[in-house]
Amino acid sequence: MSKLRYLVVYLSLVVALLLMILPLPLPDWVQIYRPNWVALVLIYWSMALPKRVGLWFAFFTGLVLDTSQGTLLGQHTLALVVIIFINMNFYQRIRVLAMAQQCIYVFVLLLINQLVVVWVEGMMGRTPPLLSFTGGPFIGMLFWPWVFVILRDIRRKAILK
Amino acid sequence: MKTLLQARGASLKALFLVVISITMMVVDHRFHHLEVVRTNISLALSPLRYLVSLPVTGGNWIGDWFTSHTELLNENAALKAEGRILNARLQKLEILAEENERLRSLLGSARKIADDVIVAELLSVDQNPYRQLIEINKGSSDGIEIGHAVIDDFGIMGQVIHVNPQSATTILISDPEHAIPVQFVRSGTRSVAFGRGSTSQLELRYLPATADIKIEDELVTSGLGGRFPPDYPVARVTEINEDRVRGFVTVFAQPKARLDSSREVLVIKPRQ
Repeated sequence: MSKLRYLVVYLSLVVALLLMILPLPLPDWVQIYRPNWVALVLIYWSMALPKRVGLWFAFFTGLVLDTSQGTLLGQHTLALVVIIFINMNFYQRIRVLAMAQQCIYVFVLLLINQLVVVWVEGMMGRTPPLLSFTGGPFIGMLFWPWVFVILRDIRRKAILK
Repeated sequence: MKTLLQARGASLKALFLVVISITMMVVDHRFHHLEVVRTNISLALSPLRYLVSLPVTGGNWIGDWFTSHTELLNENAALKAEGRILNARLQKLEILAEENERLRSLLGSARKIADDVIVAELLSVDQNPYRQLIEINKGSSDGIEIGHAVIDDFGIMGQVIHVNPQSATTILISDPEHAIPVQFVRSGTRSVAFGRGSTSQLELRYLPATADIKIEDELVTSGLGGRFPPDYPVARVTEINEDRVRGFVTVFAQPKARLDSSREVLVIKPRQ
């Protein structure tokens, strides 16, 4: 039974992935600003359940993300492992902060995540338009309070510790 | 003490995973050993893809359902008229094809046979914004292989780069990593058209300044390199930039295929 409860973690990640691959009728320049939902949700779970959602979890989530995004296998893996590792060292201090301060922290994590992905793209000769890659993390930060509240309620309903 | 050990353990684990990730990237970039991993994960994700494309498919279906009687009549009439015109053209084409065949046999050159095609539909999936990839709903079980060319009604769209049993990933000719060998119809000049990451522009670099190129010139596949079958329309020249200092010309061309809006595509199987 207790194992079954953790299904909500996987389900929330699946929903995040759906949000990322959902085709929206938006012009190309807006597509770049779509936030990395999977990273957002993963940050939440790694803060809430640091014992369960750790580096290996980030690794496998990254593999799935790489496949669905058509990036090199290892690109998102590396990015997620890096930010979850950072988060593992800071989550205890961050959990007690006010929401606005948390948002800034999440922005920095998403930015590091994005930087790793863009850096690898750059090494393969695909340089994205300058500074546009900070847009995704910024939009992601704006969604953090909602992600936080929704996932917290789900976690409490499922009584996950 | 215990926490210190734990911290060190986590750092080592992170380092280990980082090294694995980097190794995977290099292997994935240079070789094809990880194709199996990609295919399997992709297969597991395919229900999600179909789920995501449901709203679009459903929207089309509802749209069809509510098409009014008069609209259908109008459309029917328009299609009949188009059919007549196409038939008339086809008659001419058949005669030309026969004549062509006869001339070719006179010349003793290889016969041209019509290519085999597979009709596929786009799975509406958004991918990495830095790349131009699309996903189609036919895969290795339908006989699609890596390297097959993908076209729509207007011209070349791209080529298949990953195959799963029920779907395939196609790189568009506009992807920054893609280049396609082309030939100018009017002058016969051969060149290579590079993608620029925008669905409305291809770039032909380093053409000699003396090359005979005009705006509105048509580009077709040259068939060199063996990936794309020859003589399929690719693009039309929209801009010619002359670099007088270095004596080169850079040409920009607009792809003929509707890279961002075609939903039905054809996959061409090369002749054996």
